[in-house]
Amino acid sequence: MKRIKFERYSKVLLLLLFIAVLTILKPKSFPTVGNISNVLWSISVIGILVSGTVFPLLLGGIDLSIGSLMGLSACITVISIQKLNYANQSVFLGIGCAVIAGLVVGGFHGVVVTVFKVPPFLVTFATQSIVLGITQVLTNNKIISCLSPKLFTSIGLGRIGPFTFPIYLMLGIVLISYFVLNKTVFGRYVYAVGGNIEAARISGIDHQFVTVVSYMISGLTAAIGGVVLASMTQQGMASTGSGYETDVITAAVVGGVSLAGGEGKIQDAVIGAILVGLLNNGMNLVGVPSTNQGLIKGLVIIGAVALDVANKNDNKIRLFKAGKGVKKDV
Amino acid sequence: MSSEVILEAKNIYKSFSQVPVLQDVHLEVAKGEVHALMGENGAGKSTLIKILTGAYTKDQGSILWKGQEVEINSLKDCRQLGVSCIYQELSVIPVLTVAQNIYLGREPKIGKTGLIDHKRMNRMTQALIDQYNFPLHPKDTVGDLGIGLRQLTEILKGLSARSELLIMDEPTASLSGKEAEILFGIIESLKEKGFSVIYISHRLEEVYRLSDRLTILRDGKNKALLSRQEIEPLKMIQLMIGKEVDESEGSVKILTEKKESKTALKVEHLTCKGKFEDVSFTVQEGEIIGVGGLIGAGRTELVRCIYGADKYDSGAIYLHGKKFVPSSIRKSIKQGLGFVPEDRRGQGFIPLLSVKRNTALTNYDLIAKRALAITSKEELDMCLKAIRKMDIRPDDPDKPVGLLSGGNQQKVVLGKWLMRELKVLIVDEPTAGIDVGAKDEIYNLLRMLADNGVVVILVSSDLQELLRVSDRILVMRKGKIIKEFSEGTVTQADILEAASGLKEVRS
Repeated sequence: MKRIKFERYSKVLLLLLFIAVLTILKPKSFPTVGNISNVLWSISVIGILVSGTVFPLLLGGIDLSIGSLMGLSACITVISIQKLNYANQSVFLGIGCAVIAGLVVGGFHGVVVTVFKVPPFLVTFATQSIVLGITQVLTNNKIISCLSPKLFTSIGLGRIGPFTFPIYLMLGIVLISYFVLNKTVFGRYVYAVGGNIEAARISGIDHQFVTVVSYMISGLTAAIGGVVLASMTQQGMASTGSGYETDVITAAVVGGVSLAGGEGKIQDAVIGAILVGLLNNGMNLVGVPSTNQGLIKGLVIIGAVALDVANKNDNKIRLFKAGKGVKKDV
Repeated sequence: MSSEVILEAKNIYKSFSQVPVLQDVHLEVAKGEVHALMGENGAGKSTLIKILTGAYTKDQGSILWKGQEVEINSLKDCRQLGVSCIYQELSVIPVLTVAQNIYLGREPKIGKTGLIDHKRMNRMTQALIDQYNFPLHPKDTVGDLGIGLRQLTEILKGLSARSELLIMDEPTASLSGKEAEILFGIIESLKEKGFSVIYISHRLEEVYRLSDRLTILRDGKNKALLSRQEIEPLKMIQLMIGKEVDESEGSVKILTEKKESKTALKVEHLTCKGKFEDVSFTVQEGEIIGVGGLIGAGRTELVRCIYGADKYDSGAIYLHGKKFVPSSIRKSIKQGLGFVPEDRRGQGFIPLLSVKRNTALTNYDLIAKRALAITSKEELDMCLKAIRKMDIRPDDPDKPVGLLSGGNQQKVVLGKWLMRELKVLIVDEPTAGIDVGAKDEIYNLLRMLADNGVVVILVSSDLQELLRVSDRILVMRKGKIIKEFSEGTVTQADILEAASGLKEVRS
């Protein structure tokens, strides 16, 4: 029993440990409002993305297209604003179009995965380059900068109190994701389908609907993330989000979301994102040369995941042992 | 048949978590004989075979190969001795050719280059095919072959590795009649060539036809060893069931037809090509109808179609007089159907989720929501009700169902249906792998449901269970209902006789 409790809070403990170590190492520069705000700002996009991408992950699927989708969404927003002469209304139109694009791409993933039974890895891997290609055509493969209106730039850079706007947005989206996953019937169905699709089907759950909607949610958060990123960088570029899929999946896995599906919590995935952010921040503060940072990050990720997998395997063994009575003798 | 003994297993003991599965079991196979191994589900046949092939280790006892004591710890050990096992799930690789499969891992090479000599490999395979007269071609891709020919490929693979003993576990379970005929011919010719075969089957007529000797296991013990002359269908049935036909409890039941009740479920000419054909029956309110038959008789397929888990081709279903089309499972559940699937672990529950969530899985329409949020108190109350009603242990609503014992898992699967208004409950092998205590509880529960007017359809291979629980028994064979026991005295032997089609063989 002790072990299970430890597992439940292990992510929080790890986070606290991390914070403690950094506070001791850098008591002057780390625990300041400015620095904390910085760390949170740097992970806010990842937090927004993981809130949606956790849905396909919980189904045992994956969404590799989110990086490209962010680029598409960023460019659609920026182009709309540019075409409408930087009017305030153009921001809403741009975001609206970006969100629709995200939902359409997500819906496409869901349909191909569930109706044509193509593995999610392949579908989203393919749309990764399809979406990137579309954006490149759309933008003529150029960077489109967009410095106004203020309504647009403040999405990524505006401040409310000590924190920038994206942090509040992340918080809001994480809360919605938490609500859907933990309080609604749909959330229950996501865990059921991810845990045992056949049993879910026999129980009358429309697994195709659950799958399609889950991928649409992932597309939606990718689109929102793209808008935020465009505003932060004040520009749109096809490759603006490339690499984010790795960060998001890393955050989820470090946070204990099982890539096999059926297991994981959004709050832990967010902690995973914060841990990755803190690691980056800590290395900068301690003065690890940027050339060495990739190496260390990679090793830490492997270590964290290996530990988690070892834990999970232990669990599986226990699950298996408990089920031994089911042995079939034909 | 020479009397030289090729394999002898002596005094084999095996238990799983203190439950004895095999006790002092003997098996002796002579050179050039087909030795059949029979027994009901759970009699220990598979365990014995797994010990002989190194998948399990025995607790006690010894195995002698040609008189010498041997230790078999892996499939490799077993192959090296010259034993090959043809399982129900075949191990041939579909994308490779017959020749590539047969010489997998020991391909002939061109000189010392390490490259595979395909021509020689195909020639060697052709020679083998000619030698044993199999209807195969070396260059055919295995994936394009029917299941019967794939099985022959597997047998040939065993023969090519100089196996002297073939173990076949239910080899005809998924074969058509024609394919089975070919297989029987090959088994007979192998026997003449001096190979030995251990043949495991539920099908009495096959055993009757093929075997030289027959070992019958019951409850993990040797029950009988019959020689060719002694193998008689009725005797086999009696020995397998283990009780003198008209004495003991559970082997006989006097059925009386209920007359006053209303028809609740009517199935007319239901057909699903290749699975079952022209199935018609009616069930009255509050009746438990048992469906017996051998594995592969189409029972599971039939009840899955009635529930809406699979689609049927033609026919009609009427529920309380109204036509019922099970177009989606959701709809069936709304109409008052419930289903406990045969494969509990694979289809029955979500192992990682708690008892609470598994119980609520089919019942979220009954739980109130406030602004889309499930009221967790109602969810918990439902679970506590199920725990109380089913006596689920431990009574922890947050325990993952995967961590419960088999019996308690099944109670969770069943319990969720009791939270709804049910009209029809379909249970497929509800007590497979469950301890005796939980079995009794489940039987009582089914009876209680029936007393409240629910139609219960019980699919079971456990004859004792069928007789004990059912008000009426249908027996299926090869996709058809071939016998109905509705009135008078029925014995286990009657059901088994009908299910195995022995009458057809004898007449």
